[in-house]
Amino acid sequence: MIEAFFLAISPSYLLYMTIGILLGLIVGTLPGLTATMGTALLVPFTFALPTGEGIAMLGGLYVCAMFSDAIPACLVNTPGTPAAMATGFDGYPMVQQGRGQEAIVAACFSSALGTMFGAACYLLLAWPMISIALQFGPPEFFWLGIFALTIIGSLAGDSILKGLAGGAIGLLISCVGISHATELNRFTMNIPELRGGVSLVAALIGVFAVPQVLSMVLGLKRQEYIAEYRAEKGVFLKTILKVLSRPIHFLRSAAIGSFIGILPGAGSPIAAIVSYNEAVRWSKDKNTFGKGNVHGVTASEIANNAAAPAAMIPLVTLGVPGSSPAAVIAGALMLRGLNPGPELFATDGVLVYSFGWSLFIAGIVVFFVGMLATPLLVKVIKIPLRLLAPLIMFLAIIGAYAIRNNIFDVYMMLAIGIFVFLARRLGFHPGPIGLGFILGPIIEPSLVQALYISDAVGVQKIFFSGIINITLISLSVISVAAVALSRFKARRLAKQA
Amino acid sequence: MKLKLNSVIKGTAASILGAAMAFTANVALADYPEKDITFIVPYSPGGGSDQMARRLQPGLEKALGVNVRIVYKTGGGGAVGFSELHRSKPDGYTIANVVVPNVILSSKGDGVGYKPGDFEYIGMTESAVGALMVPKDSPYKSLDAFVAAALEKPGMLTVAGVGGTGADRWGALADILGIDTTYVPVSGGVGKMMPMLAGSHVDAGMTASNHATKHKSIVDALVIAGKQEVTTLKGVPFEPKWSYVTTWGIMAPPGTPADIIATLNAALNEAASDSSVADALSNAGYNTIIQTVDEVNAFMDEQIKAYQ
Repeated sequence: MIEAFFLAISPSYLLYMTIGILLGLIVGTLPGLTATMGTALLVPFTFALPTGEGIAMLGGLYVCAMFSDAIPACLVNTPGTPAAMATGFDGYPMVQQGRGQEAIVAACFSSALGTMFGAACYLLLAWPMISIALQFGPPEFFWLGIFALTIIGSLAGDSILKGLAGGAIGLLISCVGISHATELNRFTMNIPELRGGVSLVAALIGVFAVPQVLSMVLGLKRQEYIAEYRAEKGVFLKTILKVLSRPIHFLRSAAIGSFIGILPGAGSPIAAIVSYNEAVRWSKDKNTFGKGNVHGVTASEIANNAAAPAAMIPLVTLGVPGSSPAAVIAGALMLRGLNPGPELFATDGVLVYSFGWSLFIAGIVVFFVGMLATPLLVKVIKIPLRLLAPLIMFLAIIGAYAIRNNIFDVYMMLAIGIFVFLARRLGFHPGPIGLGFILGPIIEPSLVQALYISDAVGVQKIFFSGIINITLISLSVISVAAVALSRFKARRLAKQA
Repeated sequence: MKLKLNSVIKGTAASILGAAMAFTANVALADYPEKDITFIVPYSPGGGSDQMARRLQPGLEKALGVNVRIVYKTGGGGAVGFSELHRSKPDGYTIANVVVPNVILSSKGDGVGYKPGDFEYIGMTESAVGALMVPKDSPYKSLDAFVAAALEKPGMLTVAGVGGTGADRWGALADILGIDTTYVPVSGGVGKMMPMLAGSHVDAGMTASNHATKHKSIVDALVIAGKQEVTTLKGVPFEPKWSYVTTWGIMAPPGTPADIIATLNAALNEAASDSSVADALSNAGYNTIIQTVDEVNAFMDEQIKAYQ
């Protein structure tokens, strides 16, 4: 482990990792360029390097993209990757209140801490954590998805019904395409492109970017800029202290992030959503969330970053990647003739550990890179809307196209965008719709698989037994009950007043 | 008169156009390839097809003397990428992975816009047979033990496979063994199946044998398809009546000229014969294949017949 540490801090490792981080900054910031695409594009270039440096570079790109996707989420309310959706819930209101610098600094610092926590899990707790993660089968994934859906309660705003309807619309759209189990065409209307389903990334760009651009354009007469922007002195230190003043909030978010990161197929977006939900639940001032609470930003960013190194744990313990970028890194290792999995500890132990240290150090480098870039990045707010709106639209179209190189995704993005824009005017929050998109691909296949297994062992045994199932069901019920209770109280108060 | 002049102009224009086209066609044939080639990967980055493309990329570039650019067009179990290739210009500058039988099975859906017989096949490079595997700590240490348990509790053992095609393939083996089990479809490929096996959420899993080789630390293979042993799975019995084989290769859009296909076939075989590629394949548990254009066409005809 010590040998691996010294390897990870050797100049060549640091150099290539930092290059990866700088690329990750770009990849994450541009909606549509995801960490998966970024790492896949970088793989051929890493072949010129020794294996250790090569995967350090890929890892650097991955963790930095998990920070930089927060930048567009905060500044223009469009998550750079699906993992940053929850970051924007509070990040964008902060920017509107003129606290742009605070939002970005908070995102950057909590991303750095989250990455280091996740990397520490990879280095120290890989085996115990994976043995718990393996307890998650189809029914557990199903209940995890249902539990994550309960966040609608804290997102829905004025009408819980509209929140539920939004979530249902998102889930339904995620069903479009060839069904997971029986390969049936669903809602494809004989359009071949729809067989592959609606691209998650393109759909999220539609949900967030297009309505944003449209309301910018319609509001041009009233508003020239997103928000007032003034550089505030001492905001860096103040924000960092704010994050550090909540150690329990940090530990909870980081633990949720790294654990969900381990679950193959769940990944950073779910980690961020569950962590945000828990931050709201445990907070004393629940009503400030969604209206610019800095801890909403940190909850999401700590978790989605902790999930990135954690997604490497199933790769080295089972040989199964925990997320799509981890799958690309696995592919890069296999092309070099290495077989990622438990044997790698025996044959290339130094490589396994130096990668962990690289991810840990990447957290620190991301912090400095982010701090240097923040003053520059927040200047986006200074761009007048008449320039910013077409720029976002341009990036949205490129991003929707780039994800699968398919022009059809651009049409879908525009159609969903216009739909969400209209729905927003009717009082729908875009959050639940995006949530449905992200959770559909987790909930549906796991429900189907669990139902198939229930043929053999019975519904009761598969869905309602086992400590994890019972825990997740109880948490979901408590979540829903708490929301119902607080709404009931609020209504009574309103009546009395 | 007016009419006559018009037709003269049209005729001249047509002949000039024709000559120009013939000229460009000749040039294209003489100098192929003279620009970068796009290689469509119809499955996600990091998956088997992506790795195959990446493995062959350096060899193809060396043999053809131009760059080979890899692009991902994913979705629909490969259908999105296959139909994109089908629509591409047949000039030899766009090629794609092909997975058999996926290309045949995916074309059966309505509206995909291609038939497996349409494409020009360049060559197959590797294949793997099916395997039934159980978790390391499974109570079923052999195929006999598994079959005995299934006979004792009909429908109570669960077997995971990939999607609906997996259901057919498992059904074939279950019929041969004469057992009744519960099939569990996994979406998102083998990456999702291994954790289910490692956590014993299903009793067994069924997929291509190269995965049983790769995940030797998690699973034990009970039986493989075909008429011979797989070298990386020594001692695992084989079932000759079970004809589950997956084959990987490269294809071009319908109507790509024969001499371009011949050039690509030669380049592919050169790339695939490279010792680093061949070693990587055999270590990973694949059978390596080198085919002429005639051989790949005969192979595809036979496969299309078998699956239709």
